[in-house]
Amino acid sequence: MRCEDAHAMLIEGEGGERPAALRAHVAMCAACQAYARDMEGLRAGFRALAAQAAPEPSWGFAARLLRRLDELGEKSRGADFLEQVGRRVVYAAGLLTLLLLLALVLPASGPLRGPTTSELYWAQADTAVLTSYSILPDEPLEGRELNSQVPGANGGEGKR
Amino acid sequence: MEPNRAEQDPQEVAWIQSAQRGDREAFGQLVERYQQRVFTQVFRLVRRREDVEDLAQEILAKAFRAVRSYNFRSSFGTWLSRVAVNHCYDFLRRERTQPAAFSGPAGDRDGDQPGALVDNLEAPDQDPERQAVLRDLVGKLLERAPADDRVILVLKEMEGLSVEEISEILELRPGTVKVRLFRARKRMLKDWRSLRQER
Repeated sequence: MRCEDAHAMLIEGEGGERPAALRAHVAMCAACQAYARDMEGLRAGFRALAAQAAPEPSWGFAARLLRRLDELGEKSRGADFLEQVGRRVVYAAGLLTLLLLLALVLPASGPLRGPTTSELYWAQADTAVLTSYSILPDEPLEGRELNSQVPGANGGEGKR
Repeated sequence: MEPNRAEQDPQEVAWIQSAQRGDREAFGQLVERYQQRVFTQVFRLVRRREDVEDLAQEILAKAFRAVRSYNFRSSFGTWLSRVAVNHCYDFLRRERTQPAAFSGPAGDRDGDQPGALVDNLEAPDQDPERQAVLRDLVGKLLERAPADDRVILVLKEMEGLSVEEISEILELRPGTVKVRLFRARKRMLKDWRSLRQER
């Protein structure tokens, strides 16, 4: 038996009869004898600690505890009420926010349907493109130098 | 080990059921029955007499608030131990940075030479002087130990609980309890040897 195995068995043991192999090893090995002695000392120390009397509850401990529970009960009732009210306020605010978001995002419905947000966006984008190329329908096209404004419109010349 | 409702004291079952409906007087009866056990467990875990009563009160107040969750699968004592151990564990972790002085009757014996007394295993365990030295040494080691080690060692070595009972209290598998117990004992023994070499 190796010393490590003997140490593990000494630690695992519950302080009762040791296996014969362990007894034989400990009898021959001074280091394991010291280890076993320390383990026994530690166990004896735990027994001594366990034998030490714990403090007893002072007179009226249970009554004081019940009074404290009463106080805590009243506090928790108040806290419960506030929590319920607070929760309702939060729910109402959440619901309002959701309705507002829906009103902004969803298209207006009904017999006279207005333009949706996306339609408005594309209309604005089209206008912007036409403005940048200066070819709005109410302005004449003649005399405008499109080539100077549109890159690459001159075909190969622009590259030279 | 896990008594069902029928195996428990009918009076205790009635008190628990009333407490679960919010009856504080019924809970008071349970307090009268278990308060010393809670005090002992708290004292063994925290090792500070001045903190025991406050902690016991907090534990029992917590138990009252949580008593509805008790489902009669384990004994009420085991369930209460679980509440106590968890509470003390949190306390020990909070207090980790402030190690307390050992409050045993032996006082601080750093100046003594207790090695011979400790080594003399022929001396009876009842020898008061040897008892005091051992208590002082192991008490100091427990105070230095991490909260996990302290809890499992107190439950095993001082409360004398089985691995199965500890696994029920700590809500761990028995195999895990065995591994943790082995490591905690090994660390404690290492500390014991180095502390004795210091002296």
